[in-house]
Amino acid sequence: MYDAIYVEGKGKPAATYVFEHFYNDSMSAASSKGMPVIRVVPETIVSESTVKVDIEAAVKAVFKDVVAVLTKPLTADEKAPKRREPENPPRLIFKGTLAEVNQFFYQRGWTDGLPIIPPTEEAVKEMMTGTDLPADHIVEKLEPRLGKATIEKIAINAVIAGCLPTYMPLLIAGVQALVANPACGMMAASTGSFAPFWLVNGPIAKDINVRSTYGATNPGDIANASFGRAMGLITKNVRGIRKQIEDMGVLGNPGKYSWVAAENEENSPWEPLHVERGFKKEDSAVTLMFPQSFQQMMPFGTDDKGILATIVGSIAPARMGSFAVLLTPTNAKSLADGGWSKKAVKKYIVKNTIVPDDYYSRLGYKAEVLFDRANITGPGIGPQIFRPSPRDPDPVQVFVFGGFGSWMGFIQGGPPPITKKVELPKNWAQLVKKYKNVVPNYARY
Amino acid sequence: MSADKTAAAYEVLSPWAEADPIPLKGLSPRLDKLDGKKIGLLCNNKRAAPLILDATEKLIKKKFPTATVSRFFARSFSVSSLEKDREAEFNKWLKGVDAVIAAVGD
Repeated sequence: MYDAIYVEGKGKPAATYVFEHFYNDSMSAASSKGMPVIRVVPETIVSESTVKVDIEAAVKAVFKDVVAVLTKPLTADEKAPKRREPENPPRLIFKGTLAEVNQFFYQRGWTDGLPIIPPTEEAVKEMMTGTDLPADHIVEKLEPRLGKATIEKIAINAVIAGCLPTYMPLLIAGVQALVANPACGMMAASTGSFAPFWLVNGPIAKDINVRSTYGATNPGDIANASFGRAMGLITKNVRGIRKQIEDMGVLGNPGKYSWVAAENEENSPWEPLHVERGFKKEDSAVTLMFPQSFQQMMPFGTDDKGILATIVGSIAPARMGSFAVLLTPTNAKSLADGGWSKKAVKKYIVKNTIVPDDYYSRLGYKAEVLFDRANITGPGIGPQIFRPSPRDPDPVQVFVFGGFGSWMGFIQGGPPPITKKVELPKNWAQLVKKYKNVVPNYARY
Repeated sequence: MSADKTAAAYEVLSPWAEADPIPLKGLSPRLDKLDGKKIGLLCNNKRAAPLILDATEKLIKKKFPTATVSRFFARSFSVSSLEKDREAEFNKWLKGVDAVIAAVGD
């Protein structure tokens, strides 16, 4: 839709085919770019379809609409659309019991379906003690809606999600990460159900108890659970990306609730991710990826050869986008003991992960169009799945987290990772002291 | 919903972010007809897109035989948003066509 708006802006009429279920999405995109009157051609071609006969029939059925979009004279509103005020609800929005507040927020489409903590004036004020920035400071305007991510709005969504004030610096860095690549907005809305995965590095991880060890991405830790949840609410309430309106994920992704870990720096034999990405070890940082899939494997063998063979032998040609191998400290130690640096592991994976020449013919499949947009393979191009390019010079990442064990994993999808430094407020030490002991204490039975 | 009339009441703030009104733009003038015109077919990198445009091209040739077509292939979902390095190339192509039919695969 953005291209059609660009074309219209250059003085040329445009007609865009839009799958009928994507009509709302296309209109939200058009409104966000200032052209709510854009003309589209709704049709019945399922996203990513390759069935030629269906496509030809669907195009034939709407071709007259295509012609009309390009030739039917414009209405007065299409020539000069009337000003439309964005919905800006009052700051104080509702008063009620816990149950009433929950129902009100749910019915307004402002939650992720789970119960919320009421964002009262007092709770939001306490949340904002986690930053030196004033309440009205705009961290970013987030596309597509260009909602203002002020400190107060971040804090409100953080309260709803159950965050502690010490998560504010991480949330602010997270918001900054969301705008670092224009593809991030598309990822949140995509049919591919890409979910943000957040990896925390540096001292803040321990200061706020982001889990890096056993079950790092499991439920059960307030930081891991609520930071990602707050970022999901910010995506909905500030960016304006809502399920089946703008977010057209087909299967959906449980990672959209919250998918957060800290790197297990103290047990990794290698430099932490943020150091690899240009930050100082004493810096705190958060890295964002948008994987659509998560795969776990038991390595063929737990030595370096077994681990590497499992990685290059388990990457599916149907994969797309960025890739990270998730290693436990045990896996990482096996590789380091075998003389492998992180850089060497990445280089090995790029070089040796291939689609065999006879892969598709053995499947009895002949592609009419190239299968994998992100990893084009074919005659004259070479069999490698990962192709360093100016857009993604480092297509394989290595993250070390989790407990001591052999299971390993992949996450894959989306644009290259983005890492942002987390800026801490002046009174950080006092804040940490106040909130650090909020941890579960499990009774033995 | 709780029927407990003694339950505490919470006065809560809106999580929905404010946004400024966006200056609105109108559409470009339409063509009087497609006959004799050069129609640009804009294809993004979703795999249904080229197939949609193949079918479209066939129909253009059949119904408007004096029209001609020219294609532009984006390498991503959106050439104007994600391929800033190709802006000049895209604008040049755009100058050479009278109208655009876009297939985005969704």
